[in-house]
Amino acid sequence: MNKRNQHRKAQGLKVSSAGSGRSCVFIAALAILIALFLQNAQPAWGQPRDVPPLKPGPGPIRVFIDAPPMDPASLIKGQSFALLVPDPREAQVVVRITLEPAKGGDVFKVALTGQHEFDGMRDVLPYVPEPGRKPDEDQAALGQIVQLGLMRFVARTPQGGRVRISLMDQVSPTAVVDPWNFWVFSLNATSFLSGQESYRSQMWFASFSAVRITPEWKIRLALNGVYEKDHYDYQDIVYDSSLNSQSVRGLVVRSLDDHWSVGADFSVFGSSFSNTGLAFGLAPAIEYDIFPYSESTKRQLRVLYRLGIQRIRYIDETIFDKKAETLFQEELSGTLELKRSWGTISTTLSGSNYLNDFSKYRLELNGEVSVRIFQGLSFNIEGGASWIHDQLNLAKGGASIEDVLLQRKQIATNYEYFFMVGFSCSFGSIRSNVVNPRFGSSGGGGFSMRISM
Amino acid sequence: MVKRTGLWTMLFLAALLFLCNPARAQKEGTDVEALKKTAPRVYIDCSNCDIEYFKTEITFVNYVRDRNEAQVHILITRQRTGSGGYEYTLSFSGQHEFQGLDDILRYYSNTSDTEDEVRRGLVNTLKMGLMRYVIRTPIGRRIAVSAAEPEKPEAGPDKWKLWVFNLSAEGYFSGQQSYGRGSWDTNFSASKTTPDFKVRLGLTANYRHDSYSYLDENIMSSQESYYLDALAVKGLGEHWSVGAFFEMAKDSYRNVRLDIVPAPAIEYDLFPYSESTRRQLRFLYRLNFHALRYQDMTIYDKTREKLLQGDLSVTLDVKEKWGSITTSIEGAHYFQDLSKYHLNIYGSIRLNLFKGFNAQFFGGGGWIKDQLGLFKGDATLEDVILQRRELATTYNYFVGFSLGYTFGSIYTNVINPRFGSTGGGGMSLSMN
Repeated sequence: MNKRNQHRKAQGLKVSSAGSGRSCVFIAALAILIALFLQNAQPAWGQPRDVPPLKPGPGPIRVFIDAPPMDPASLIKGQSFALLVPDPREAQVVVRITLEPAKGGDVFKVALTGQHEFDGMRDVLPYVPEPGRKPDEDQAALGQIVQLGLMRFVARTPQGGRVRISLMDQVSPTAVVDPWNFWVFSLNATSFLSGQESYRSQMWFASFSAVRITPEWKIRLALNGVYEKDHYDYQDIVYDSSLNSQSVRGLVVRSLDDHWSVGADFSVFGSSFSNTGLAFGLAPAIEYDIFPYSESTKRQLRVLYRLGIQRIRYIDETIFDKKAETLFQEELSGTLELKRSWGTISTTLSGSNYLNDFSKYRLELNGEVSVRIFQGLSFNIEGGASWIHDQLNLAKGGASIEDVLLQRKQIATNYEYFFMVGFSCSFGSIRSNVVNPRFGSSGGGGFSMRISM
Repeated sequence: MVKRTGLWTMLFLAALLFLCNPARAQKEGTDVEALKKTAPRVYIDCSNCDIEYFKTEITFVNYVRDRNEAQVHILITRQRTGSGGYEYTLSFSGQHEFQGLDDILRYYSNTSDTEDEVRRGLVNTLKMGLMRYVIRTPIGRRIAVSAAEPEKPEAGPDKWKLWVFNLSAEGYFSGQQSYGRGSWDTNFSASKTTPDFKVRLGLTANYRHDSYSYLDENIMSSQESYYLDALAVKGLGEHWSVGAFFEMAKDSYRNVRLDIVPAPAIEYDLFPYSESTRRQLRFLYRLNFHALRYQDMTIYDKTREKLLQGDLSVTLDVKEKWGSITTSIEGAHYFQDLSKYHLNIYGSIRLNLFKGFNAQFFGGGGWIKDQLGLFKGDATLEDVILQRRELATTYNYFVGFSLGYTFGSIYTNVINPRFGSTGGGGMSLSMN
């Protein structure tokens, strides 16, 4: 249903607000009286009568309920999204409840039939009463079925925005029958090739992962390998460049309560970018979330402390004349993530240092803030800055200018930053919920590629 | 058994009370866990959704990672609306026991809605759409529904007459001791969209600048481009449209000081435009009148020229339960010299084939015989490596593929944010 049409149509119709329960009950009672009167006077709703075509409005959905001997009003009692009407021809949804005999007892059938703009929409919902139940129990259960059955109609009207649906109980997400006990295994292979006469590039990626995530445990093991190669050939400029890295990473986290977790990660990796032939690392860690973890999709403020040991063998001798070494490192990081109606904040501050030499440290700040200042104006900042005093792995030989331009080798620096700021201001009509695909949707093309390891 | 029905009824009657005070949740632990085991199995196919949030807010279904396991398959697609927001189309499709129970609901976001508002709107629409499935399973008996106070009806007629304006700017800077990079992108657009008419004016300015200083090498490089593009389209029924483009460009990569292009155009969609969110097969023909001035003398010794170009493009877009296909073919030639032409092909296929197996392929290629604007002279090393200048070529290509296989537990109900929620590593390719 097109909202714009509804708005347009809404203007031609009076708003029949049913905000208070009392007026709703009054209207419902009136409706029942009229319904009873009509039923007595004209069985099978009598002679055809000209009903002016009704348009959907912003008011409640118009429902006719035929459920003898039950009281129709009680079935949608207290629900201001629906309004009982006395004449089925005026209704947007006609509900008929019948009791049908079946094997092993009677079954109620709740039939919802759409009319007017909902023409063609029909649902038949069964309700099997428990033996020995009381009639008012049936009525309550059927009332709930009618209300939930009306939802797909309500969703097509502006009323949909104010309906609240919830499960009455807390339930564990692991309450399922799972022969795999929550283990998930994934294999992936990806490649990307591109080129033209003066340039050729290729990228290969493969990974395997085994993951088990439950509220109590998070276990993850991942193997990744990446290889990239570029070739340039333009007049007398001929240049080849490549980059490769491989890693095995594991993580085990045990939940202690709604605020604390302990765990450990380990890694084995090699990377030509960071001059690492082979490195083994193991790091136990502990984390505290100031907010309960159960609110993580709305807010998190996590503080993580990690103590690691690493054995590294370098590809080329480092600027500190090392071919291999064992390092102890500690790291403290704080992460704040908020997703609220005014915007989103996601930021991490982390610091680490080597225990072998405290002057070798690193401090990093990364953040993203996207805020709507007022209707129509939104602001977006993303950035990161690092103070770097721990490049123990730099190769003695340095890098070529091509390596620098293509970011193929890590190079000496005391800092690194990136900063992005954007704002968007839009004004004008907010009523235009129209999609017009003619001549394509505007905006440039492009592609994005993301590797996370 | 009698007792249980009685309890349910009592709980149902207490539903409103419960909603007023959610803290007083009933301790029905084991009972509801038994119900959860038979709750509908749902697969949500949506590339722009906060699915973790859906899982925390909608707990009366079970989420599975494979579409074939699901009893309810939900495909969420989105398209831009005239206001700059999105129209989300939620296609519910019943499978297995729910075969034949299908539904389509829509949710509209506004251009300045925050992520949280959009995900809450989607959750609300999802819940309403799921009800007819949930009510057919035992857990449906534990659902409470209520309505918040009615919102004020929107006031008055639209004084903007459906016109929408947008101004945006983005700056990006990065660096370290040996290099610094910066870029600025600024956009302005004004548009009006109705089902039969679309007008759009856009202005774009991009500037990027890099400087490298490493050992004794100092390199500076910059690139700038400015574009004005305007479009007016009139719909002629569900399949045909006519209109015109008008473009002005200044682009240092293409060696263009100024290119003015008015271009009348006509389009045919084999499928009705109203099905565009699920499938399109559009044929667009445009006639480009170029009035060009070059920055540097071209290899053909031109500093300015006027050209007439015919350009045909065919675009296919299909999004279904089994995956999606996007392909396009575009070819153009100059009327002055028919040997000057180009042909570009692009295709992307994403498949959820059988249990756990997914494949993605995309690729494109071009035959290029119309580089009329190539500058006369040699490019520098940094121009080549940083791709700052258009270089002579008769072709270009790119190919990407990705194969994935997942097995094990089909359920993905759990959210565990501890130690951060990064995935198990991996790679994603996306194209738009």
